[in-house]
Amino acid sequence: MIINHPLLGPRDAAEFVNRGDACQIDRPDGMTASMDEMHDYAYLRDNPAGEVRELWYHEQGDRSWLVVTRNTLTHEITSVEMARDVARARGRST
Amino acid sequence: MADFTLTAAPILGGIDKAIAGNRILERDDLALVSIATPLGGDGGLAQALKSGWSLDVPDPTRSTTNGDARAIRTSPDQMLLVFPHATPDAEPHVQKMLNGAGYTTDQTDSWVVLEISGPDTMAALERLCPLDLATFDADSTGRTVMEHMGALIVKLGKDDFLLMSASSSAGSFLHAVETSYTYVT
Amino acid sequence: MSQQNRIDGGQIDRTHKLSFSFNGKFMTGYQGDTLASALLANGQRLVGRSFKYHRPRGIFTAGSEEPNALVQLRDGAAQEPNTRATTVELFDGLVATSQNHRGSLEHDLMAANDLLSPFLSAGFYYKTFMWPKAFWEKLYEPMIRASAGLGRLSMQEDPDVYDHGYLHCDLLVIGAGPAGLSGALAAARAGLRVILADEDFTPGGRLNAETYEVDGQSGADWAASAVAELAAMDNVRIMTRTTVYGAYDHGIYGVLERCTDHLKDSAGKPRQVLWRLYTQRALLTAGATERSIAFGANDRPGIMMAGAVRTYVNRFGVAPGQKVAVFTNNDDGLRTAEDLKTKGVEITRIIDARNGDTVVNTTGRHGIHTVHLNNNRHIEADCLAVSGGWSPNVHLTCHHRDRPTWNADIAGFVPAGDLPPGMTVAGAANGAMTLAAAIVDAHTKAARIAADLGTSKAPGDPAKASDETFATAPFWHVGESKKRAWVDLQNDVTTKDVKQSHKEGFRSVEHLKRYTTLGMATDQGKTANILGLAIMAEAAGQSIQDTGTTIFRPPYNPVAIGAFAGRARGKDFRPYRLTPSHKWAEENGADFVETGNWLRAQWFKQPGEKGWRDSVDREAAQTRKSVGICDVTTLGKIDIQGSDAATFLNRIYANAFLKLPVGKVRYGLMLREDGICYDDGTTARLAENHFVMTTTTANAVTVFRNMEFARQCLWPDLDVHFISTTDGWAQFAVAGPNSRALLSKVVDDLDLSNEGFPFMACAECTVFGGTPARLFRISFSGEMAFEIAVPARFGDAMIRGLMAAGEEYDAVPYGTEALGVMRIEKGHAAGNELTGQTTAQMLGLGGMVSKKKDSVGSKLSERDGMNQDDDLRLVGFKPVDRSILLTAGAHFLTPGDPADMTHDQGWMTSVAYSPELGHSVGLGYLKRGKERIGEQVRAYSPVRNQDIMVEVCSPHHIDPEGERQRG
Repeated sequence: MIINHPLLGPRDAAEFVNRGDACQIDRPDGMTASMDEMHDYAYLRDNPAGEVRELWYHEQGDRSWLVVTRNTLTHEITSVEMARDVARARGRST
Repeated sequence: MADFTLTAAPILGGIDKAIAGNRILERDDLALVSIATPLGGDGGLAQALKSGWSLDVPDPTRSTTNGDARAIRTSPDQMLLVFPHATPDAEPHVQKMLNGAGYTTDQTDSWVVLEISGPDTMAALERLCPLDLATFDADSTGRTVMEHMGALIVKLGKDDFLLMSASSSAGSFLHAVETSYTYVT
Repeated sequence: MSQQNRIDGGQIDRTHKLSFSFNGKFMTGYQGDTLASALLANGQRLVGRSFKYHRPRGIFTAGSEEPNALVQLRDGAAQEPNTRATTVELFDGLVATSQNHRGSLEHDLMAANDLLSPFLSAGFYYKTFMWPKAFWEKLYEPMIRASAGLGRLSMQEDPDVYDHGYLHCDLLVIGAGPAGLSGALAAARAGLRVILADEDFTPGGRLNAETYEVDGQSGADWAASAVAELAAMDNVRIMTRTTVYGAYDHGIYGVLERCTDHLKDSAGKPRQVLWRLYTQRALLTAGATERSIAFGANDRPGIMMAGAVRTYVNRFGVAPGQKVAVFTNNDDGLRTAEDLKTKGVEITRIIDARNGDTVVNTTGRHGIHTVHLNNNRHIEADCLAVSGGWSPNVHLTCHHRDRPTWNADIAGFVPAGDLPPGMTVAGAANGAMTLAAAIVDAHTKAARIAADLGTSKAPGDPAKASDETFATAPFWHVGESKKRAWVDLQNDVTTKDVKQSHKEGFRSVEHLKRYTTLGMATDQGKTANILGLAIMAEAAGQSIQDTGTTIFRPPYNPVAIGAFAGRARGKDFRPYRLTPSHKWAEENGADFVETGNWLRAQWFKQPGEKGWRDSVDREAAQTRKSVGICDVTTLGKIDIQGSDAATFLNRIYANAFLKLPVGKVRYGLMLREDGICYDDGTTARLAENHFVMTTTTANAVTVFRNMEFARQCLWPDLDVHFISTTDGWAQFAVAGPNSRALLSKVVDDLDLSNEGFPFMACAECTVFGGTPARLFRISFSGEMAFEIAVPARFGDAMIRGLMAAGEEYDAVPYGTEALGVMRIEKGHAAGNELTGQTTAQMLGLGGMVSKKKDSVGSKLSERDGMNQDDDLRLVGFKPVDRSILLTAGAHFLTPGDPADMTHDQGWMTSVAYSPELGHSVGLGYLKRGKERIGEQVRAYSPVRNQDIMVEVCSPHHIDPEGERQRG
């Protein structure tokens, strides 16, 4: 598998570590979230046959976390974004 | 213990080895200091690098050099400064130049630095490095994994590269490099 | 032995004679021969025995599709079973032996299996070995094991070395036959970076085996000139002896290069290199494979594919027989006869199925002697060339599950179009079965790929050739044959098996394959599958199209396990990490243990010590009595800086970090988001915006990864940065009542008194007159202790310096075992306690999880289920009978309760012998443990056969008030 890193170009997936669904970016604030919200965040994942958005970490590279959009049926990767940009776009800051 | 002082030992004893006309050299003359860009501080750091070191900030996959020191891009907000320096005070030395424009950490002892060169270097690297080195020109860099060890590669010139890897596994890394040369020569 | 079947011509070097042996017989051949061509030249028709029936078998093909001629190559440790004689390049001194027989090849004792064939039909072992049940272990399994497999392993370590590597190109051309050469030329001329791979040692494919002309020269000459043109181009790499065995995701191909297999001695160089090839596009020009026709006794040595006969005659200058008959359903058969006649080989008969003539049986011991025709006539022949038509080599197109479709015009399956992304198929592999068509097809497609990839240079013109006739009439098997007719020669599957499996209800091709094992041998049925499908289709009364086909998986041809392993063998299985004091430790009797990739000293043996316990007891006791030194460099160290560093740490650790004063260290507990403890360590604040974190050795990488996740994905606008400094600092624990005295001699200008440098203090300082260092007053042993760090390059000098300074206190180095003993005595949790189910409550650290802030895992750690009063709690244990050694893993039971899971009260996590206390001590989780101090429970370990009473105590076996570490 090859992930086309937005800054570095195509890199072998062997350089990366997968963390699963990119919904993990949307972490509720533990001080205000209900137990159910936090529970869903920690445990609940969709498992679609088709397009998924996943977090991949370029551990043997530039240490960037990436959001990789991948089709589980075809293995096609349609988009790779810097997770930090995605997080900011989703309103995360400090 | 006033009479006792500590002597630094290069991690690989400063190895300088020839294999069929190729050379593997431990560059124990180099100091390494990482510089992280403070949030929003890109401009200030660029300026400090330029004025203090005559160095440009390297783009991803690139390094810049002033002929002496070299800045290697390692992360979106981090670079590695590599320069000849003998004493274990490289970090304060760099920080003095930057004057707070970047967060600095001494990395000299974290890495082993090998310079490899010679006619079989590309063939040897083909057995080690997953990156497409044909697309490298001088100053190109990449961080990747070689024989299960994280590694940083910098092209200095034709058939001439710097390889860096973790100092604790320096022996295994050297063995991997030597084996590659041995297998292709 | 003379090469009695050697004839004129061919691309062998007759000036270069080679000697080899087969089954101990010495023979000769020439440079350029394969083992198969050399055996045929020497008249050796019988080369092996079949898998199931032990039928005599000969050479069937001239390529890697060979099902029969599998031999053991070389001898001693280098012996390799199941190599195909048809692809083995002859070298001087080659040693080969035949396989799968007991006794000699000629008189195989297992040949009796052939007489039992009525009982060994499709699915026989599913049926036969079902009963009686008791026979399985005693009789059936040993019997099956004894007869299973073809060749034999040497049972010695493979003496060869193997390697891996990485290749990159714009276009990978797979197969260097006419289409491959044509495509490679077009792409290379257009400027693409091309890799052209072919499994043969001479590129050219069928051009070397046929008498075609290309561009006015012989095909072989044109191939050689094309190769020369390509070889002269910087953007081309030609890889012969190289098999592209698999198509993987995103343009990655698995490629096996056989580097020294054709040499007698590899001279220490890798025998094979497994390449991981990255390419933008691939052009599959793998050609086609000729298939057989199923007729009675069609497996006899001397019966051979017609195309292979032409290969031996034209390329190798070998006549596979003196009297050759041809059985064909297409024009290739006629071409074979032409080529043989040209070379002066006698053709006894052309049997053309298109005229209604068929072969119903053959006879001859150890090789064909007579061909029996359907008109009751018999023909004498020592070679029968069979051509059942050609099947496109679609194998790699199937690797992403494309299912080829039937093309009636060529009577073969062609790629359907759902190819691995980036792959284009050209030439015979795509159904362009004639020469000119294949050359033009590949040229056109390669030129289009070049244009797609944005090159502007011209691809040139395709080579000129004429199209030979290609008239084929599907003909699969001879119905009137009474004798067994083979479909899959390697797995001994006959037409009867295929029909029977259909009769028994196996209607899908996938079931047919698995029930009969058709196509499941190492050749993946390259010459057999289509025959089987056709016969099945006929039995089902449906078309081949409707019957469908099975598909192929990687590898295209078998790949040696050694090639997959590459260098990763023995000590090179993985890298080693050495601590800065490694050399010194080696000099001082250290015994090393692997912890992850690290090699750590586990104890330092002294003269007179009989076992490890002697050493460990001494090290722990002396440390507690005076002072001990331990290399703790392996603990993960992370340098953390930034104006928001404290805020960040406060969110990563479950306990508070915001207000940690500069110059202080704090113990920190890390939770996973689900509230489970996963790591702990200490973090020192060196400056307002500068921290140094330590992690456990095991979790250093994971912690760093999770911190980057939090930094980039959760709080992307915090100003915080980190970098690992694990390898950068040589760090030593100096522990024991004399640790301060020792360090006072080492550290320059720092007040180490309890007031000047109290418990949990830290400072940047210098040692031995100016070497930069960091000093932390932390204790894992429970003693007064420090950790002192110097840049790793000074690590070796530092351990020597520390030991010299400690001489007057009889300082000892201690290893990981004594470290473990002391932390168990002290009641500190470590890896054994952090099980992945451990809560802060269980560790007795529930109070540490701050409720005043949000940190990773803090919310979910509050769940009711993780905070039950009757939960497990970490407590200490000692044996009631103090002379007994405790056992880790023992489960606790209330005395009188039965030993079952319902009554389980917890388990012992860590045990050690405490030299200070003079008895064994343990840590463990016990239900309501904190309330049960003083109680006696049963510690039961059925696996270790121990059932004892233990006393519950504080986990702090020594110094529960912590006076020593604060002293």
